[in-house]
Amino acid sequence: MVHLKEETLSELLDGVPVAGAEEHLTSCPTCQGELELLRRLRAELRELPELQPPADLWSRIEPTLPGARQSRRLRLGWPTLVLMQVAAAIAIFVIGLSVGRSSQPVEEQPDALPVAAAVQPVAATVTDAMAEVQRLGSEYDAALANLQRLAQRSGRPAPSLTEQRLASLDMLVEASRTALSVEPADPVLNSYLFAALEERDAMLREMSESQGTGPEVLWR
Amino acid sequence: MVELTEANLVRRARSGELEAMRDLYELHASRVYTVVRRLAGDDDLAADLAQDAWANAFQKIKDFRGDAAFGTWIHRIAVNTALTRLRQSSRRRDLEQSFDGSSTLGNPDRWPVTAAAERVTVQRALDMLPEGYRSVLWMHDVEGYTHEEIGARLGIAVGTSKSQLSKARARLRALVVGAKAEVVDHGTS
Repeated sequence: MVHLKEETLSELLDGVPVAGAEEHLTSCPTCQGELELLRRLRAELRELPELQPPADLWSRIEPTLPGARQSRRLRLGWPTLVLMQVAAAIAIFVIGLSVGRSSQPVEEQPDALPVAAAVQPVAATVTDAMAEVQRLGSEYDAALANLQRLAQRSGRPAPSLTEQRLASLDMLVEASRTALSVEPADPVLNSYLFAALEERDAMLREMSESQGTGPEVLWR
Repeated sequence: MVELTEANLVRRARSGELEAMRDLYELHASRVYTVVRRLAGDDDLAADLAQDAWANAFQKIKDFRGDAAFGTWIHRIAVNTALTRLRQSSRRRDLEQSFDGSSTLGNPDRWPVTAAAERVTVQRALDMLPEGYRSVLWMHDVEGYTHEEIGARLGIAVGTSKSQLSKARARLRALVVGAKAEVVDHGTS
């Protein structure tokens, strides 16, 4: 007996009528079996279980997503966050500290050191850095009070804003380097450092250019 | 409710919240991976395809209007991503390979050695099918695409899609039943 072609069986499986095929099927158990087997295989295909993706798939997808960079910053580990906060806090405190110290008359503090040298944010751990912040905070409060007192007493002009900012940038550079010593590959901390260095260089150039002219160099 | 939760996730993902994207991924990762894995027949390629599918989806999630469920939407993107890649690869490789125009049922000598040597499960047999066969078979028999839709997506004629399907079914049958199975003489209809 000549049996049905595979194309015919396939059409029958899909319910497509084929002339003469139905009659053949009724009298041919072999072709009936073949058709039933194809039907069963199709059912098995549809019942194949779901598969689990590789465990690292999301980590491959995430960097390609919009907003991934921003999220990367938000989801930094706590040591990095703390160190970043420390770096920022030091910079803020030093601005105020430099204001206070620079405002003090030289004769009242003969052993005074330059601001950047007097404050040394060289903490190697988060705990040390936080202690440094607290210490600087206390000095900041005292310096502000001193500044107020001196301003009321002598009416001297405030120290150069450029000098204050330069000192704070020095501190930010140091704080960033301290933080990077813990997490050297952190892109945010590196960006802080590079930005601070760039700003510091630009300020030094401006200071050099403006020497003798007297105008105040403002923060860009 | 699940629907509300997912709608909320979609809304947050559209506004760029990565956490929401991650949650949507977790909800549908298996479904997406499964369909691209079935079409790819290979773990590494499937991972690449799933990665591309999700990246594509989130890059254009602002276009998702919620007319269909997110799962349906991402599933469609996954299928299209896989088929686009397969279509590109088919330009470098003959889809039909050595199976064009010949009945696999009636010509066991043309079956690959692996098929002749062992009996395999449906899942493994699917992986062993030539790429073109596997794509058409899965799209038609499982995903429910018509031959016209398959032809359009794979860039082949409707007749070719029908032919590929019948060959794919026959080949799958041969792989599963095994080389020593009864070979029926399929001469004429």
